[in-house]
Amino acid sequence: MLDVGRHPNIALLAYSEVEKVEGQAGDFNVTVRRKKRYVEKDKCTGCGACAEKCPTKVSDAFNEGLGSRSAIYSYFAQGIPSTHTIDPDFCRQLKGKKCGICEKVCQADAINFDQEDMIITLDVGAIIFAVGYDVFDPSQIPEYRYREIPNVVTAMEFERLLSASGPTEGHLDRPSDRTVEAEIATLEKNLKKSKRTLEKLEKKYDQTSAQFYNQYQQGQYQDDRDEQGRKKWADKYATHLAIMEPLEALKKKAEGFTVAKKLAFVQCVGSRDFRFYPFCSGYCCMHSIKEAVIAHEHEPETTSTIFGMDIRAVSKGFEEYKIRGGNNSNISYVRGRVSEIMEGPANNPVVIYEDTHKRQVESREFDMVILATACAPTKGIIKLAKVFGVALDKYGFIKTSPLSPVDTTVPGVFVCGCAESPMDVPESVAQASSAAERAAEIAIQLRSEKEKAVA
Amino acid sequence: MSQDVLVIGGGIAGIQASLDLADMGIKVHLVEKLPSIGGKMAQLDKTFPTNDCAI
Repeated sequence: MLDVGRHPNIALLAYSEVEKVEGQAGDFNVTVRRKKRYVEKDKCTGCGACAEKCPTKVSDAFNEGLGSRSAIYSYFAQGIPSTHTIDPDFCRQLKGKKCGICEKVCQADAINFDQEDMIITLDVGAIIFAVGYDVFDPSQIPEYRYREIPNVVTAMEFERLLSASGPTEGHLDRPSDRTVEAEIATLEKNLKKSKRTLEKLEKKYDQTSAQFYNQYQQGQYQDDRDEQGRKKWADKYATHLAIMEPLEALKKKAEGFTVAKKLAFVQCVGSRDFRFYPFCSGYCCMHSIKEAVIAHEHEPETTSTIFGMDIRAVSKGFEEYKIRGGNNSNISYVRGRVSEIMEGPANNPVVIYEDTHKRQVESREFDMVILATACAPTKGIIKLAKVFGVALDKYGFIKTSPLSPVDTTVPGVFVCGCAESPMDVPESVAQASSAAERAAEIAIQLRSEKEKAVA
Repeated sequence: MSQDVLVIGGGIAGIQASLDLADMGIKVHLVEKLPSIGGKMAQLDKTFPTNDCAI
């Protein structure tokens, strides 16, 4: 990533979208919209002072909604470019409220609320599509109860929980436990505030709140000359008690929290399923094994069960990785498809499945269930394909033919990575180099023609 | 006529294609929809089968 930002031959147009294309191979004219960030890219140093002080907190898409970020943000800590961006959907200032804190704290004077979109045109000889994929939304499968059961997560969400730079700093805290902890934090904050108010009142009346409240309830202060004041104190103390009770209950519940140690991985969620995508997404078997291996590295007591029709470990070193996972990382493989996920006691998901080796329908309780979601064509691809005139296949990936796997239906336009079909990182890299070479053929041919003309 | 190449998408595929072309001396314009490049791979903690760090 860093190399891209530094390379003299690469002009990086982040936060931009292609709007229009004209011409043909060797001579395309492309219109690109550079969206306004409300931050001057040449001035922003990426220091993050603005994000620290921004009062608006928003769900963080990079962390799959498991963490929060500010309305002014960098997409992720190591992101290139490091230029910050203001989210116009949430920024108080842009929503017409009074704020502008980021503008005040920015030492580089980079904030510009009056910035406009920039339209630029590019002349290029060849184009490469590398628009990637979308994670399949498993809430379309009602029997897996994703979003209903908090401890059922997607593989990408689990990846963020495992990551040291993620919302839990790599600790496998369960989403249901994190919700309780967040509630405790809010209640504690409120309690602190109410304690301060009560302390002031106790000082004023020279009595403890508990003593006073007891007497007040017995009717001692009914005709007090400071009846209003006493009533206010009693109300404040009642609110205080109303915070204390649920807080104590939640704290007691949180005492039993540990990291997730019993994990279930459900394969083929959306893939190899005629209701959604009949194809195999290819990388999910290995992805699940890898996540189970890493979870075991973090916590040696972790046991993982991978439920799948078969484990497809088809590439260099993959089968060995699968066996090593089974031998060294407490992974067991169950052949069978999960039919339903229910919620058991203590927010534990219960997986109901058929073990086809035993020919038995069984159910098992886990700390967390991870859904190996399909590789779905990205939503924006339909619009982009229309702009370029390239054909899509029946699923919505870019159409290619087996003997020219990086050529689209438009000459001079090439494709690589998951825009073409589901594939893993090594395959994406190999296909990217292949697409780069095909594009270079056009560029280099043009260059030599130009050189000949000059000679 | 132009010898430049446009790459759409700054994930691992777009990054690799851009770097290959740029190293060949070809000028590349890399367009990314999101504020930073990196794509899905940047969201990954480690990659199989070597457990190398993804970033």
